[in-house]
Amino acid sequence: MNVAIKLVGIFQIGRFKEAVHEYPSGTRACDIVAELRIPAPLLGVVLINDVHAGVEDVLNDGDRLCLLPFIDGG
Amino acid sequence: MKYFTSDPAAEPASVQYTRCTVDLKSGKMQMQDVPCRNLEDVLGGFGRSFQILAERNISQAYCDENPLIVNTGLLTGSSAMTGMRTYFSGYSPIKESKKGLPAAMWSTGSGNFGAKLKWTGLDELIFENRSDKPVYALISETPAGPQVELKPAEHLLGLSTHEKIMSLHKEYGNAHFAAIGQAGEQWQNVYMGAVALSTDNQLKSGDDKIRFAGRGGMGSLMGYKNLLALVAQSSDKIKPLTPEVKAVNINVVKGGGAARLQPISRGGGGGTWAAYDVLQAFHAVPLNNFRPEGNDLPEKLFRSQVEKQYVIKSEACYRCGITCHNNVHEKKEDSSAGGFLAKFDYEPLNLLGTNLGIHDAGQAARLIHLCDNYGMDSISLGVTISYILSFNERHPEQLLLNGATFGDFSRIRELVEQTALGKLPEIGHGSKRLSEKTGETSYAYHVKGLELPAYQPETNPGYAWAIAGGHMSMGTYGLLTREGKSDIDSWVEGITRTKLQIVGFDMIGLCKFFDITKGICTQMVVDCLKSELNLEVTTADLSAAVRRAFLRGLALELRQGYEKSEYTLPAEVWERPNPNIKLPNISSQEFMAELQKRVWEVFEPELGGLLPNSIHE
Ligand code: SF4
Repeated sequence: MNVAIKLVGIFQIGRFKEAVHEYPSGTRACDIVAELRIPAPLLGVVLINDVHAGVEDVLNDGDRLCLLPFIDGG
Repeated sequence: MKYFTSDPAAEPASVQYTRCTVDLKSGKMQMQDVPCRNLEDVLGGFGRSFQILAERNISQAYCDENPLIVNTGLLTGSSAMTGMRTYFSGYSPIKESKKGLPAAMWSTGSGNFGAKLKWTGLDELIFENRSDKPVYALISETPAGPQVELKPAEHLLGLSTHEKIMSLHKEYGNAHFAAIGQAGEQWQNVYMGAVALSTDNQLKSGDDKIRFAGRGGMGSLMGYKNLLALVAQSSDKIKPLTPEVKAVNINVVKGGGAARLQPISRGGGGGTWAAYDVLQAFHAVPLNNFRPEGNDLPEKLFRSQVEKQYVIKSEACYRCGITCHNNVHEKKEDSSAGGFLAKFDYEPLNLLGTNLGIHDAGQAARLIHLCDNYGMDSISLGVTISYILSFNERHPEQLLLNGATFGDFSRIRELVEQTALGKLPEIGHGSKRLSEKTGETSYAYHVKGLELPAYQPETNPGYAWAIAGGHMSMGTYGLLTREGKSDIDSWVEGITRTKLQIVGFDMIGLCKFFDITKGICTQMVVDCLKSELNLEVTTADLSAAVRRAFLRGLALELRQGYEKSEYTLPAEVWERPNPNIKLPNISSQEFMAELQKRVWEVFEPELGGLLPNSIHE
């Protein structure tokens, strides 16, 4: 299945901004996070099709996955 | 602090703190060891100062009876990472109820002043009345204990925050400093004066790399009292690091707590600036007075853009491994760092940049630099100016002040300068008073008289219950954006239980970056208290004390005339819903009304008995 991945902020460094990758069915958001070597403490928000999702959520063909860094404070 | 118990929750009176009451009118000093009333007193910061403020009946901020309280927290000056906080408390010149009564307020900052103050042996200063002539206070350690002296300060008048600090630094070695700028000196016309706190980096480099206690106009209160600066002179008394505190500090730096604030070069998130990228993904970066347009304009101040033209140095307060300061320097031809321009934290960068229609990093840096050196709260200043720009955009035939509009850098700079010099009370008195004069209050972005930080109110109805500014005293700003919570139950729970715990940091002497998601009611803090001070405190004790302190702040607001209807958001958010923000709508009038009902149902029964029955007239 194809998943469109969008990375935000520092996650783009050494990776990409947007890309479409192919995965076996049953792939979860956390599998892609691990594949991309995004450190767990830095991951703040997971959006699937623009809706907040859990890192364990399973993706479907054609989904848009967006990974955002953790923010807090000013 | 003197400890005659190891169980301060059960026996608070067996812990004493050293207070010096300074009568600025007569010059008299009274040094006392004061027994604590409860765990809030023991922890310190606003947990203690608000109990003192609650004993006073204050109807205007600029009066002799309104004290300026300067204190520290239990872990200020300890070897626990980030233990550097100083607190300034008093009735605020800027934050007021619709009845016109001033709200109790605290403001806090890092830098090295707090630790030095603690190491003199003094835990608290209460400045009463006002001095006839400009003075500064010298707090020093002597063999007989801490000593406080008032010194003439005419030579400091008219100097910026940085100039005052550097001038005193020439006179006093082994000292750190707190100072107001020209804005605080113009207290009649500037209610948003900040207090600057010196850093080691500043004193060594000579660059104006200062930290600030900015919110609530504590610098203006200091100016009213004719107290221009504080000097804390002592030897360093940092204890050798115990294995327990070392483990905590490693956890703070490497664990979940602060990883995202570390420099990118160390694998971190690069500090609070990263909020730009994240909020922009939802088109929720404040732009042109909190009206994001769904375009890519905010991206011009993304770190990745700014880095192309400038050198960004990641720096820290002395001994802090979190390294959260992003200091922007000019870039020389060989790409090395040139002159220092400004520190780029998320709030000042947005509120003196994108939210004013300024998208050029150099121009934003200039405004931040001016704001810091004149000594103003960048949040109140930025938001009040953005109100003017918005008014002028709506009324081209009836322009306010110099007619500045969004993006007009030279006119905006003029507004900043003139405000600081006391020539524009329209801005200096804040957005609440200004909007009441123009009659257009719906797009004045304050809550309860204090300007909002750089998170869209549409994303944070919790602002309404913040007791000392939207992001330092109510941690709900990420509840929708980060956690995706848009149901009423989660918001009631967040406001009334979990997210109010953020104020614990403003009691104990730590930065909220120590562990922002979990607060101070953790084993890490318990371990630090045991190892540093031999105090046995449970996380439940800490949580109960923080809750009582928060509720006392709420009770104090109500006593100062706040009506329940003032616990709300700027009306523009429901009068002109912004379709560009890509998040569920949780700021409708209906949602707010339900939230108000449910939140007060929880808070109200707990508000009794928190304030003294009789107060000094
Ligand atoms: S977290 Fe930042 S402000 Fe706080 S002590 Fe560390 S470097 Fe200073």
